[in-house]
Formats: sequence, structure tokens, C-alpha cells
Amino acid sequence: MSTVVAAQGVSKRYGDLRAVDGVSFTIRENTIYGLLGRNGAGKTTLMQVLTGQTTASGGTLKVFGASPYENQAVLSRVCFIKESQRYPDGFKVRHALSSARLLFPYWDEQFAQELLHDFELPPGRSVKKLSRGMQSSLGIVVGLASRAPLTLFDEPYLGLDAVARQLFYDRLLADYAEHPRTVLLSTHLIDEVSNLIEHVLLIDRGKLIVDDEAEALRGQVLTLTGPSAAIDELITPAAGRELRRERVGGLTRATLRGPLAPAERSRAQALGLDLRPISLQQLVVGITASGTPSTDGHPSGAQPGTESKEASR
Amino acid sequence: MSNTLRVLRVHLVTWPGLLIWPWAILATSFLVNLAVFGAVHAQQANDDGFTGGMASIYCVVLVICAQWAAQVFPLTLGMSATRRSFYAASALLLLGGSLGYGVLLYLLSLVERATDGWGVSMHFFGLEFMAGHGALAILMYTVPFLVFGFIGLFTGLVHKRWGVNGLFSLALGALVVFGGGTALVTWQGRWHAIGHWFTSQSAVALMAGWPAILAALLAAAGYLAVRRATA
Repeated sequence: MSTVVAAQGVSKRYGDLRAVDGVSFTIRENTIYGLLGRNGAGKTTLMQVLTGQTTASGGTLKVFGASPYENQAVLSRVCFIKESQRYPDGFKVRHALSSARLLFPYWDEQFAQELLHDFELPPGRSVKKLSRGMQSSLGIVVGLASRAPLTLFDEPYLGLDAVARQLFYDRLLADYAEHPRTVLLSTHLIDEVSNLIEHVLLIDRGKLIVDDEAEALRGQVLTLTGPSAAIDELITPAAGRELRRERVGGLTRATLRGPLAPAERSRAQALGLDLRPISLQQLVVGITASGTPSTDGHPSGAQPGTESKEASR
Repeated sequence: MSNTLRVLRVHLVTWPGLLIWPWAILATSFLVNLAVFGAVHAQQANDDGFTGGMASIYCVVLVICAQWAAQVFPLTLGMSATRRSFYAASALLLLGGSLGYGVLLYLLSLVERATDGWGVSMHFFGLEFMAGHGALAILMYTVPFLVFGFIGLFTGLVHKRWGVNGLFSLALGALVVFGGGTALVTWQGRWHAIGHWFTSQSAVALMAGWPAILAALLAAAGYLAVRRATA
């Protein structure tokens, strides 16, 4: 499968702030990626660099084989839907769609009209008068109907109720099935999209700490809860697969990358430890919660970052 | 080129505003002046006067171009058009619009002359010294639009790229250049020479030639600003 995005050590600095700090990854064709991370982790900045909205401060970045910045050949295959998109004064919904029709070469007008109807957007309504949720819907309509080979959605659901969000996921999946393309979706509602996304990129404080198939992450990460002594006996922190360890009184909960070896599993049972797989959302919370280093003193996530890269090769 | 044309059509998505505002404001200015001149003319005949009211349409064009930078630029950049194509489309539209508006103003100046200043000796569209150049006068109306338009684009893009600090720096620079220049000329007692230079220039050079050079410099400055501007 061909590569759509190849990033090598890509950085973006704003003064002293390293908003994106040397990330390396590739994005394959015709796959739905989830870009996860906390507020301020660098998701939006990374997407802006990927789409040529801003320049990278360092590293090499190839989108469809070339640098995206001021490159019309690349950009005409890219659509970036961001929460902060503003429209000129006096723009109505239909003006926004006319602009999109002019600027996105793969635009499907009929699909756009269907989506407009689905999301109940009045074409004659001034964009400035749309509610927060309706503005998000407008972005979703543009993003889906653009049919761009690389489509990025930056938290596209702000202000949308659960029904409208489900509509977005449904329409995205249905259209993706008919017109495969590469989608990069940044979101906080991880549980909602965990069945949608095929690959996870997790960034924390500008660094990429997980780059893995969603399937692998869903099955593999588990928590082990029980008396601290028993956990310490079973799992040595130095093994490198521990993502996080919390201690409350005499109890410890360790979050680890599985799977456990059969011997470990039976030993855990013998020690009376509680063993359960965790969801993608719990995983993300577990490894990006700030100020909770695991017991070996490394900041949480530092180890799994290196490990996940090795694992994915 | 086709990308530029597509962006240009995005500029035109809400095209009525590009026509209505400049001419509505110019027409209002015209009517107010006409009322004043009519009243004065009834009392005392024979006062040829240029109103200066035409400056309004040039200022509206400046504001429109600044709005392109502030509002159309974030839209087209956000919809995957390059900065270059935004700028080329803006420059092209400004050029075409300026020419169209220049022709209209020229035609209105012909009407003004034919009606002896709208019957009240009012010079609204035509300056006395601009007369007698035939169709060249079109350039004298057109080129100042380019100057105002590129000032609007340039300052709007400076704001996009460097924010309010950029605008203040620009104002500071302009103050130093013009204020310092004024002080220098006064100190050197060269106003007479400068006045002489102005009177030695032809109307076409003053209204079209030199402004064209200024417009080209502003266009280049705007291009430098847009290259790394962000929405």
C-alpha cells in the first residue's frame, strides 16, 4: 500500500514551546487514522503542518511525495476541516459550499446536497448565525463532499449532539467504503470512534508516543490490580511494557502492554490479581494523564513510545 | 493559472458587495455635494470647485482589499488553495476592477463636463488639470485604485502575518519616513524645489505614472508578506 504522508523528525516551535517535537511516522493510503492526545498536545499544530497551513520548524515532511507547503499539486488532494475555520462576513451556507465546489477538485455536489439535507443545514442561513453545532456540521459536509484523497478532521464534532455525531460516523464509513481515501481524525471522544479508526497516533506534549494498529491496542493493553507485593513480584518495571503504575494504600494497579505469557497469566491467577483488558480511551487516559510518572521515574509514556515504534516495525 | 481563476471566483461568490458598497458610498457623497453646490449656486453664481468627494470610492476599495486579506484569505487557505494563488487572484481582480471603475469614473467626468458641472458648476469627477488627455484620463482614474487597493492588501496581510504589532511597526515606519522627510525638507528649505518638481510633472505622470510605480512596490511588499502568512 502506498504512503500518503511520510514525516521524519517533524517539529514546530513557537518561541520556546515545542508544539510538535520531532515526530516520525507514516500514513498509509486508504486507512482511517485517529490522532489522539490531550488539549495542547500538538494535534492541531501537526495537522496544520501536514496541510501546509504553516511551515515546519524542522524535519522532513512529504505528503503525496512532496512538501505540502505552497504546493498546489499536493494541496488539491488534501482537505483540512478545522474547528476554527472562519468564513467572510455575509457568507451564507450556500456560499461556503460554492467556494468548496470551486476549490476541491474531487467535490461531489450531489453528495454535498444530500449531506446538507441529512444535517438539516439551511442553505440560505448566514454562517455567522449558525449555532456551534451547525457550524461543525457545515465543516463535516465540506470535508465529506470534498472526497479529498487525504482528508483531515480536527475535532469536527464540537457542539454536535450524539445523534449528529453518529450521523457523521455513519456517513463517513459509508462513503469511505464506496470511495476509499485516507482520513486523519483528531478527537477526544475516543470510545465513540474506537471502532471507526484503524490506526492510532497518540501524541503527548508534542511527542508521538503510540503509533499502532487500533486492533492491536484494543486487545493488548490490560490492567492488573492487586496487592502491591504481588504485582511487584509478577511485573518488573524494567521490562518496558508497563505504561503506568498507581499505588493506593497496599494496592497497585499496573497498566501494561500485553499479551501476558501463559505462565504469567496463571501466576497472576494464583496470586489473586484482577486482570482485565482496557478500552482505547482508558489506555489514552492512562498513558497521557499528566504528572503521574510510573514507578521507575520515567515520565509516563516515555517508554511505550520507543517500544511502540519497535513493535510496529 | 486555473487555480488562480478558481480562487478569483471565490472572491466573487459574494460579488454584489464589491459593486454596491463603492458606488453606493460614492453616489451618496455625490448627492450630498450636489445639494450643497446647488444651494450655494443659487445664491452666488460662478464658483468652480472640486469637491474631493471622489476620494470616498478609493477608500472603500482600500477597505475591500484589506477585507480580502482578513476574510477571504483564511477561507481559501483553509480550503487548500495556496497563498500564491490567493494573492494572484486578488491582484488580478483588483486590476480588472480598477480598470472597470476607472472607465466608469472617466465616463462620468465626460457627463460632468457636458452638463457644465451638473448645472451647478460642481467638479466632482473631474479635476481641471486632468482634462484634455482624452482616454489617457482612464489611467489617471485607474492607477490610484491600484495604489489604494494594494495598500489595503498589504496592511491586511501584515496584520495576518505579524498581528497588531506588525501594523504598529508599519505605522511607526511610515511616521519616521514621512515625518522625518517633512522635517528634513523644511530644515533644508527645499519646499520650493519640491513644489517646482510637482508643477513640472505632467498630469498623467502625477496621477498615473508615479502612482503606478508606487502600486508596483506595494504589490511586491504584499507578496513578500503573504508568502509565510497564516490564517
